Amino acid sequence: MRLRWEGTGFLLPVIAFVALFALLPVALLFSNALAGVGGAGGFVSVVSAGRNLRSLDNSLEQGGISAVLAVALGYPAGVFVGRFSFRGRALLRSFLLVPFLLPSLVVVFGVLDLFGPSGVVSGVLPSTAWFGSGIPAIIAANLFFNVPIVLLLTATGCETASVELEETVGTLGGSPFRAYREVWARPTWVGAAAGGLLTFLFSALSFAPPLLLCGASSRCYTLEAQVYVLDQTFLDPNAAATLALAMVLLLLLPTAVYLGLVSRLRANPGRRTPGPRPIDWRSPTAGALAVETLLVLGSELALLAAVLYRTVAPSDQYTAGAAWSALFSANTTSHLGVSAVGAVGNTLFFAVVAALLALLLSVVSGYAIVRRPDRAVVLGLLLFVPLLLSPVVLAFALSSFWRPVIGTGTNVWVLVVVSQAILALPFALQSLEIPLAGLSSAGRDTARTLGATSLGAFLDADLPRVKDGLVTVGLFAFAFGLGEFTATNFLVPPSLTTLPVALYALTEVRLFPVADAAAGLLLLVSLAVFLVITLGGRRVEL
Amino acid sequence: MSSSSPVLEVRGLSAAWDGVPVFRDATFEVGDGEFFVLLGPNGSGKTTLLRCLAGLERPDRGTVLLDGVDVTKLPPHKRGIVLMFQDPALFPHRTVEENIAYAALLQHRPADEVAEEVGRWVELLHLSGFEDRRPDRLSGGELQRVALARTLAARPRLVLLDEPFASIDVELRAELRAEFRRVLRSSGTSAIHVTHDREEGLFLGDRVALLYDGIFHRPGRPSEVFGNPGTVRAARFLGYNVLAGPRGLEGVLPADLRTAPPGGDGRTVATVLVSGSVGRETHVVLRSEAGERLEMRCSGEAPPPGVRVPLTWDRSVPLVPD
Repeated sequence: MRLRWEGTGFLLPVIAFVALFALLPVALLFSNALAGVGGAGGFVSVVSAGRNLRSLDNSLEQGGISAVLAVALGYPAGVFVGRFSFRGRALLRSFLLVPFLLPSLVVVFGVLDLFGPSGVVSGVLPSTAWFGSGIPAIIAANLFFNVPIVLLLTATGCETASVELEETVGTLGGSPFRAYREVWARPTWVGAAAGGLLTFLFSALSFAPPLLLCGASSRCYTLEAQVYVLDQTFLDPNAAATLALAMVLLLLLPTAVYLGLVSRLRANPGRRTPGPRPIDWRSPTAGALAVETLLVLGSELALLAAVLYRTVAPSDQYTAGAAWSALFSANTTSHLGVSAVGAVGNTLFFAVVAALLALLLSVVSGYAIVRRPDRAVVLGLLLFVPLLLSPVVLAFALSSFWRPVIGTGTNVWVLVVVSQAILALPFALQSLEIPLAGLSSAGRDTARTLGATSLGAFLDADLPRVKDGLVTVGLFAFAFGLGEFTATNFLVPPSLTTLPVALYALTEVRLFPVADAAAGLLLLVSLAVFLVITLGGRRVEL
Repeated sequence: MSSSSPVLEVRGLSAAWDGVPVFRDATFEVGDGEFFVLLGPNGSGKTTLLRCLAGLERPDRGTVLLDGVDVTKLPPHKRGIVLMFQDPALFPHRTVEENIAYAALLQHRPADEVAEEVGRWVELLHLSGFEDRRPDRLSGGELQRVALARTLAARPRLVLLDEPFASIDVELRAELRAEFRRVLRSSGTSAIHVTHDREEGLFLGDRVALLYDGIFHRPGRPSEVFGNPGTVRAARFLGYNVLAGPRGLEGVLPADLRTAPPGGDGRTVATVLVSGSVGRETHVVLRSEAGERLEMRCSGEAPPPGVRVPLTWDRSVPLVPD
């Protein structure tokens, strides 16, 4: 009887946490909003209002175009990285993922620094200024952020294809193209499709790009941005929550399909001897894939270089020193409500605490899911609910539910930490799933029969084997928190302003050179996290 | 080897990984319908040799001729040589029938011919009733039978078997290898089978060659190879005890080694390390005074561990150092 309940009892705190900080607030937000707008009729009238309908169009358009282009650009590079082994492959794979770990605002700044009015590239090639504003700029920002996702999932698909099966096709008379079709087209396209869907979800809900890359106009607003504006600018929380409900309903299907594709990718029955094989540089296919991968890498490097370049060569009349001085000046402090150093401190504090919380939640639940998958199905689904919740919806719900309890002062830090942890949770869990699934019960059972307690067996037999995975998840959640802007911006009072929120505030008052310096600072911190992940030989999974 | 011209001729084939030789100067032939066994310990280069023959690896030197045609530089799918792995590597999304028909369909054979071919192998390999099953619903032995059926339905000139029974239960393994041998012989297909299991290799092969330390040794009939191992290393691999005799080194089989009668002079002395019953016989492991590990099969009770016993033998084969 004890065994029957083992592994589920200690999950109650996790379930309670997700229920109290995600499900219940969101459910109450939606039900109150529906009551406020007058039920189903009100729902239809909010959704069909001109601006809201346009934001729906924008979400579908930006999400759809970004997804298709991200798959087109990410698939060949993913195949190259996943299929072939060569010197420097692990480093290349990690480096190609850098933009995914970057704060979205830094990516937006990168697009502006490359193609904007004073862009490094558009200054030399004026025709590229087309990518500097409006929908093309938003799509470009979405691509920088999302191509790595498609690439990573395609590479994962490649790595699960059976080498023996591919070689068998060859010796049975099948051509290399036939082997591609039979053996690894399927997992790679499953990976690419999952990446495309995630790109769609992220792009349809993008917040910073439509706000910053479309001038002062609201014509590019996605549903996410429109929900924010309805609540914060038009002070109509019922309409905002109703539109948020429509957004969640819209994302239900793509999220479910994404989760289905990822689980199919992980459970690929063809997997026997995974692993890339040596590259034949004389092959035209390998050459073409290498060139495409280098183009993707080149564009990513250009974006990072442009952001860093602008921190030392500001676009306006500022000198580099003046911009950095301005960032740390009393004027900026008075404008932001906190000094730049304070903003960095707030950012690090939130990111560290949120990472620890996400790590704790994902370890407890991931361990339970792997050990007792039969009992943890509901929990598994529950923990992926945050994928459905955009940062604005979560922040909106947390704010409505918890602010009456904790007030609007500095206690709000709890909500910021909780929102960052919940948003990172699905990805943290997925990154942990592979190392946890690799745990053998033999090691644990041996430790138990040698006299170790259940906890002792975990610490001695399991923990050493998942240690790297835990560090990766912690760092990943930390990087996620560093760059989180949307929910944090919704929640924090001025005294708790973070660096991404400060960055946005500086652009609102058009202090672009100072904002460039802040973006550079944020980029350097994010790159440091990336270096720690990469130099430790660790891998992020999606 | 049969007197007709060989199906496969391998001349001076060598391969290396990062400059470290895997095998060197492999030269041998496989005749039409012959079952050729390559016997060697793990890591001896057997699998790499097969992969070079299949075209999955490129050798550093040497040539591979199939029916007199140089195929050394041909890609795998144009060779007509099928490699079967230890892992059956079936298509997980295809049924048994579809897996077997795979190569026949690739060769654009008429549908009725393909159906007939599939039916033939299903029957010969006792797969009736499994035609519509997918691989995840088959046992290990059934999976290997489907893999063999798929291989033979391709009508290859040569089949390469890379330890296909290694992950099968001992009981089933004996049955399966007999079945493989029967089916391959009845189809007249030439095959190279690599294994580290000497009993399996000697049982299956029309001819056997040894491969260790990357060097190819004296292909011959199983009885010839076993009866005259030649070198110390080959003898040890084939299960001989290596002992010093009056004319030099000698290879003595465990069954030919016995304790000298009381009062009689033993030819050597060894200390019993451990012994145990294996059915009607007792298996004894000893250590000679020269430090050589020896094995002995005897009837009756073995001396207890730690006892020094005189040993003698009547039958032996001469050996030369490697």
